[in-house]
Amino acid sequence: MKSVQSSSYRDRTHEFLSISERLRKSLPPPNAVVGVNSSGGVGGGGSRSSVAFQSEFNKRASKIGYGIHHTSQKLAKLAKLAKRTSVFDDPTKEIQELTAVIKQDITALNSAVVDLQLLCNSQNESENVSSDTTTHSTTVVDNLKNRLMSTTKEFKDVLTMRTENLKVHENRRQLFSATTSKEASNPFVRQRPLANKSTASSSNSPPPWANDSSNSSPLFQRKQADTESQPLIQQQNQQQQMVPLQDSYMQSRAEALHNVESTIHELGSIFTQLATMVSQQGELAIRIDENMEDTLANVEGAQGQLMRYLNSISSNRWLMIKIFFVLIVFLMIFLFFVA
Amino acid sequence: MKITALLVLKCDSRSDGSDPVILANATDVSHFGYFQRVTVKQFIVFVGRTVAKRTPPDQRHSVQHEEYKVHSYNRNGLCVVGFMDDHYPVRSAFSVLNKVMDEYQKCFGDSWRTIQADSTQPWPYLNDALTKFQDPGEADKLLKIQRELDETKIILHKTIDSVLERGEKLDSLVEKSSDLSAASQMFYKQAKKTNQCCTIL
Repeated sequence: MKSVQSSSYRDRTHEFLSISERLRKSLPPPNAVVGVNSSGGVGGGGSRSSVAFQSEFNKRASKIGYGIHHTSQKLAKLAKLAKRTSVFDDPTKEIQELTAVIKQDITALNSAVVDLQLLCNSQNESENVSSDTTTHSTTVVDNLKNRLMSTTKEFKDVLTMRTENLKVHENRRQLFSATTSKEASNPFVRQRPLANKSTASSSNSPPPWANDSSNSSPLFQRKQADTESQPLIQQQNQQQQMVPLQDSYMQSRAEALHNVESTIHELGSIFTQLATMVSQQGELAIRIDENMEDTLANVEGAQGQLMRYLNSISSNRWLMIKIFFVLIVFLMIFLFFVA
Repeated sequence: MKITALLVLKCDSRSDGSDPVILANATDVSHFGYFQRVTVKQFIVFVGRTVAKRTPPDQRHSVQHEEYKVHSYNRNGLCVVGFMDDHYPVRSAFSVLNKVMDEYQKCFGDSWRTIQADSTQPWPYLNDALTKFQDPGEADKLLKIQRELDETKIILHKTIDSVLERGEKLDSLVEKSSDLSAASQMFYKQAKKTNQCCTIL
């Protein structure tokens, strides 16, 4: 041991000085201190590589931490964008770009953390560094992994929230588009010259025929005048809403057919289920049948036994009489002897 | 869900403003008071004419008027207008109009093109149609099929429930029968035992 130490003792102070200068330039001071410690602790040949390892490790760790911080900031921005989306003003492109960027970042950070862990393991195995260094490096790696995992989870949450929002918007859009047929007719009502408004104003809520006939003719005439006055606007509006109305009619028919088809499918599956259940219960019935047959056999056997018993009981009387006879004879002999 | 009126009109596609000519008319105004019926009929005629005039050829229209929806379908100058309430499904309404139009064309061929004045002859088919189609399922096969399928589904659900109950009962029967067979086995063994042990006596 001593000889090895004395033989490996070399003066590498100037190397050490150059390394420490480099460390001071590239790394924050605590790492240089750690590097100094480890190099001092080992002495000899391992000092340079361990310092290099340590600085490499720390450089990578700090880079990864920085990257994670950036990614979480971008994620916060993405979350804000995703929450902000409304039905019409949808920054889909930005969201998608941001999502892609964040995904790339996360995958890169993931691979970097894996590399860092490998480096840390190799360093711990190959070099005789102090246990503090190993614990420090493992703690740093674990910390980075945890942060990366939390970032990934947040990313997933934001994505799910965005899909939910999209679904809600889609539903709302469907609601709106389903009512465009109503809205197509409502503009009719509005354009329908204030003929309705005039009737409404003249007769309030009950339909105009609630008025007595004295009012009806001036009403009709007014209506006619009004209707004549705005045919052109109606025409234009009609043409504009024509296509959606036809579409919605066709769409509703198509939808109804789809519904019918899916209902029939469901019915088919229900029938299949029913058949399965009935066949399963058929097995149960068979089991019951077997049980009953067993019972029958047992009871018949028991009945045979009991019949034999009965026969033996009834036929053994002769033996019993004989035995009693012998007993009584002995009793007599006893009595004779004693008395 | 009811239909208040069905009208068949002949629409000129010329936009010179000539009113459409009524070819057939069927109304059900029984839910209005006796004195209002005439007014209502006139009103229906008027609104029907207006809507028919505004319907471009080969187009379907739906107009909301107070609590009624007026549906119109114009095909090659022959226009069918229907007054339905809000609950009547739009698709069924248009299938009613389709049917009426087909029937009219079958009955009268193209003779309607020559009619210039409102015809006042009642067309019995239209009156029958009015009463028959009060139920939207009659006109719209899809709706009928959907309804029947829903009923069938309900029945099937009930069937499955009863089958499940049957399964439970069968389960209990299985248990009881296995208990019974065990008991009978014990009985058999007991009988054998008593048989063997009393041969001495």
